[in-house]
Amino acid sequence: MRQSYKIAIVFLIVMGFFPLFSNSSWLAVGTTFLIYSVVAFSQDIILGRAGAFQMGHALFFGLGAYATAILNVHFGVPIIYTFIPAILIPLIMAIVLAGPIIHLKGDYLLVATIGFNIIFIQVIQNDIFGLTGGPNGIFGIDVVRIFGVEFMSQTAIYYMSFMLLTLTLLIMRNLDASKYGRAMFYINKDDIAAQSMGINVRYYKLYAFALGSAIAGAAGSMFAIQYSAVSPEAFNVVQSIMFFTIVLVGGSASLPGVLIGTFVMFVLPEIFREFATARYLVFGLAMILTMILRPRGIWPVKFGNIPNYLKKDTK
Amino acid sequence: MSDYLLEIKDVSKFFHGLVAIDDLSMKVKKGQIYGIIGPNGAGKTTLFNCITGLYTPEKGEIIWEGKKINGIAPYKIAELGILRTFQTIRLFSEMSVAENIMSGRHIKSNQKWYNGIIHTPSMKKDEKKNWLKVGELMDFFELSKYATTPAGDLSYGLQRRIEMARALAAEPKLLILDEPAAGLNENETIKLAQTIREVRDQGVTILMIEHDMDMVMSLCEYITVINFGAKISEGEPSFVQDDPVVVEAYIGSDEDE
Repeated sequence: MRQSYKIAIVFLIVMGFFPLFSNSSWLAVGTTFLIYSVVAFSQDIILGRAGAFQMGHALFFGLGAYATAILNVHFGVPIIYTFIPAILIPLIMAIVLAGPIIHLKGDYLLVATIGFNIIFIQVIQNDIFGLTGGPNGIFGIDVVRIFGVEFMSQTAIYYMSFMLLTLTLLIMRNLDASKYGRAMFYINKDDIAAQSMGINVRYYKLYAFALGSAIAGAAGSMFAIQYSAVSPEAFNVVQSIMFFTIVLVGGSASLPGVLIGTFVMFVLPEIFREFATARYLVFGLAMILTMILRPRGIWPVKFGNIPNYLKKDTK
Repeated sequence: MSDYLLEIKDVSKFFHGLVAIDDLSMKVKKGQIYGIIGPNGAGKTTLFNCITGLYTPEKGEIIWEGKKINGIAPYKIAELGILRTFQTIRLFSEMSVAENIMSGRHIKSNQKWYNGIIHTPSMKKDEKKNWLKVGELMDFFELSKYATTPAGDLSYGLQRRIEMARALAAEPKLLILDEPAAGLNENETIKLAQTIREVRDQGVTILMIEHDMDMVMSLCEYITVINFGAKISEGEPSFVQDDPVVVEAYIGSDEDE
């Protein structure tokens, strides 16, 4: 995995210079790519690492976006302060919602999480408490102001998203080299063996849900800032399926894999926009072929990320 | 507190009304190498699963250091110092040998919830301490050159060693071995017996199921024989070996035919 950190650094450098060479429409695609990468990583914590089949992740992405939108538009809270509830609300909701169903295995958990996502969409479409704006969503979200300086240009928003992704990558790196990150892998690979080694499966799965959802919430907040609006269709089950697919197509628990997955699933369709809907035929086919030919993803994770002083006798 | 580390008192376990363990009692002393033998399907592994919390017995008590532990979650059993290996090897096969053994350090690591996100100096110290312990175990089990190799790519004998190293990484008081010699060749078996003795000499009590009679008879200090879930004999190897009940259970009496 050391190699994957190098790749992540190269990626960040490239993305850091990207705005210098792109026009405004590509800058918008680039910004969304950064935000979706963050969501994909947060999905990867739950699905790729802890191995929980979460197919309602757009719910937590949406909770973050709606938290920012509602607090700012209805309550006049400055955007910068909405960031904290946009992280905390999805985090708490993840524990509340996933808590009772965390023991469910694979497909059962998947169906239950889809259920949560559908209920969430119903709730926001029904303009609950007159706060969510119904099917049209919420418009007119303010720009970010820090000490009176407005960060409203596309480039400013791009770099805020860039910072968020950088932070997320740092968290992923720290997670990988900690007891918590490893416990997730052990549970994923063999939960009976993990329990017998003293690992509390329920606790670490919930930890993954909470952490993943908090990060997704932060991304949601950024998403609301980028479009200065939120609406239900950006957070429906189809979006959840996309985040799920990104992780599997790219490579579960693999940093380069998740980035490639996001690129393939989100940026490529933008590049081939001129082919209109025909491109989806190609994408569907590409997804099927990936799963047949590379079942562990385009760029599978490599284990063996151990300190150098333990590698003395190898090779 | 009694002299016994682990006491099984009248334990019964049923599956869909069928008896898997029938009123079984046994006592394991601290520092012993204790063997459980019996024909296939006698309920030996079921007993281990009851001790380690994977199953809850319907009847009876499992006493660990004077306290009742049946019904406790498996991860808490491990925290108490009871670690095990599996008859059908259960390694994290895609992960490297070192990472597999590191899982045993889980309960010995004192990292906090926020260390999954932010690293602190004390956390890094903890991390290093645990990896060094993994290094020691890899040296002891002669696994160092496979440190980064995925555990699933290695031979059966090596995988059995990794499983044992993983359990020992947790510094158990009681190590439960479920057919540790299964699938090993003669040389590997001899070496295994030696390793088990060394581990015991370091202060770990051993409870094992094994089919290799030569190994059991030479290694174990006390043996319980189980058939159809019930204890049919117990005692020192020399006694058990010649007990007519045991001989009958293994070879089968004439009436069986």
